[in-house]
Amino acid sequence: MKRVMSTKLAVISVAGVLLLELLGLPALSPAQEEVASSIRRYKDREVSTGYYEEYEALPHRQRPLVEIPGVRRGVFPYSPAAAQVRSRTHLADSHQGIKFYENLRCQICHLNETTDIHTTRANLTCRQCHGGEPIASIDHLYSPLNPIRKHAYVCSKCHEGASASYASYVVHEPNPAMVGTRTSFPLLFYVFWLMVVLAVGTFLVFLPHTLMWGIRELFLKMKKE
Amino acid sequence: MSPKTRIRRFSPLQRLFHLFLMLTFLTQASTGLARMFIETRWGKNLAGFFGGYETCRTIHIYVGIFMLCGFALHVVYVLSRIKWREFPRSLFGPDSLLLQFKDVKEFFLHIGWFLNFTRGPEFDRWGYWEKFDYWAVFWGIPVLGITGLLLAYPLSASQIMPGWALNIAFWIHRIEAILAMCHVFIIHFFIAHLRPHSFPMDQAMFAGSVDVDDARHERPTWIARLEHAGSLQSALVSEPSAAGRAIFYVFGYLAVATGVFLLIGGLVNARFITW
Repeated sequence: MKRVMSTKLAVISVAGVLLLELLGLPALSPAQEEVASSIRRYKDREVSTGYYEEYEALPHRQRPLVEIPGVRRGVFPYSPAAAQVRSRTHLADSHQGIKFYENLRCQICHLNETTDIHTTRANLTCRQCHGGEPIASIDHLYSPLNPIRKHAYVCSKCHEGASASYASYVVHEPNPAMVGTRTSFPLLFYVFWLMVVLAVGTFLVFLPHTLMWGIRELFLKMKKE
Repeated sequence: MSPKTRIRRFSPLQRLFHLFLMLTFLTQASTGLARMFIETRWGKNLAGFFGGYETCRTIHIYVGIFMLCGFALHVVYVLSRIKWREFPRSLFGPDSLLLQFKDVKEFFLHIGWFLNFTRGPEFDRWGYWEKFDYWAVFWGIPVLGITGLLLAYPLSASQIMPGWALNIAFWIHRIEAILAMCHVFIIHFFIAHLRPHSFPMDQAMFAGSVDVDDARHERPTWIARLEHAGSLQSALVSEPSAAGRAIFYVFGYLAVATGVFLLIGGLVNARFITW
């Protein structure tokens, strides 16, 4: 009788220890299951975690049709092996999958973004606005630079009282003279060129005019003398 | 008392407006360029003269507001000078600065004279280039002033317009300022000081008068009109004193030197800044 009791106690103890161990294990997740749709996988899991190659099953297609409303439409290179997605505007870690990322500096890839007034005049560093690693894409839902909260989380650190309208100022302004700006910031492009035409037009008329005037009067003076 | 050999051209108030414009414009040009060129040694030294990068901004903003106040006063003055009983005919009189068709004609005649094709035009009181200078400033101050206010107070500005409009305001302000500075430092200074007829200096804006023989030569229509109306004698004034002339020369050439210094410094350093 005593032996039966001790056997039961041993079984209950082992079961209890096993149950306690279960509490310490990670929770069950659908990510560990076979996922039929690569698009669902991409949207639900991979896009936010950045881990592509730890799934038990690879996606069915290596180049799935992924649409991001308002950003990009159509097929673009994506494969779990390369872990490369060109459109990086909605990622939790915008630099995910970039090889040797730890050894790179921001300006190696983002040179144009280091030539604006915030960088050259106010001497701001990238991380003062974009935050520490992992740096989220500016349109990711939880990014501090998402337009829904940028004014409160980033701009107002220096510009106290910044509103959402204020935060729509384009910090990394495209070069207003370039053709590409006609698409990315058309009003800036057209206003810039209007002002340039006005200035150049004024000098095209008045510089030769003034020079000719000076020469003519010089000749007249020489003739009189 | 020296003989009356000069004819009155500008009233004391008009000369005061010009003096105000000279001082504020040169201050704005210096502080604006100091900030624009702060990445270069030239820009740093220039900013240092005014107390540094941030002080330049403060001076630029307050002098800009001062300029806008002056402009508002000038508009009131202009409105008070219009002969409203003869309006709108009075706007097109010979003493008006409004651009007219005869100015276009005189411009082309003048070009013809430069090239020795035609006789020179017989100007009245104001030449087309003087009217252009006047209206360039008249449009330039509100453009620079409004965009400047938007940039100086961006938090308030973004309440009445989207923040991205500040990007556009910045470029309008910058290009208009460069246009104004280059026009004044090259074209205006050359015409008023350096062309053989005016060399070494056209004192009209300081003394308020011009030599009557010079005026008869360059602006015969104006002199003939005054003679015809019998008002020439009453418009004649004496030569300014030697001390007065010395002050005009020193002051005028200080302004020219400042302008040339800013122009050359800006051109030399233009390639070293982030645009």
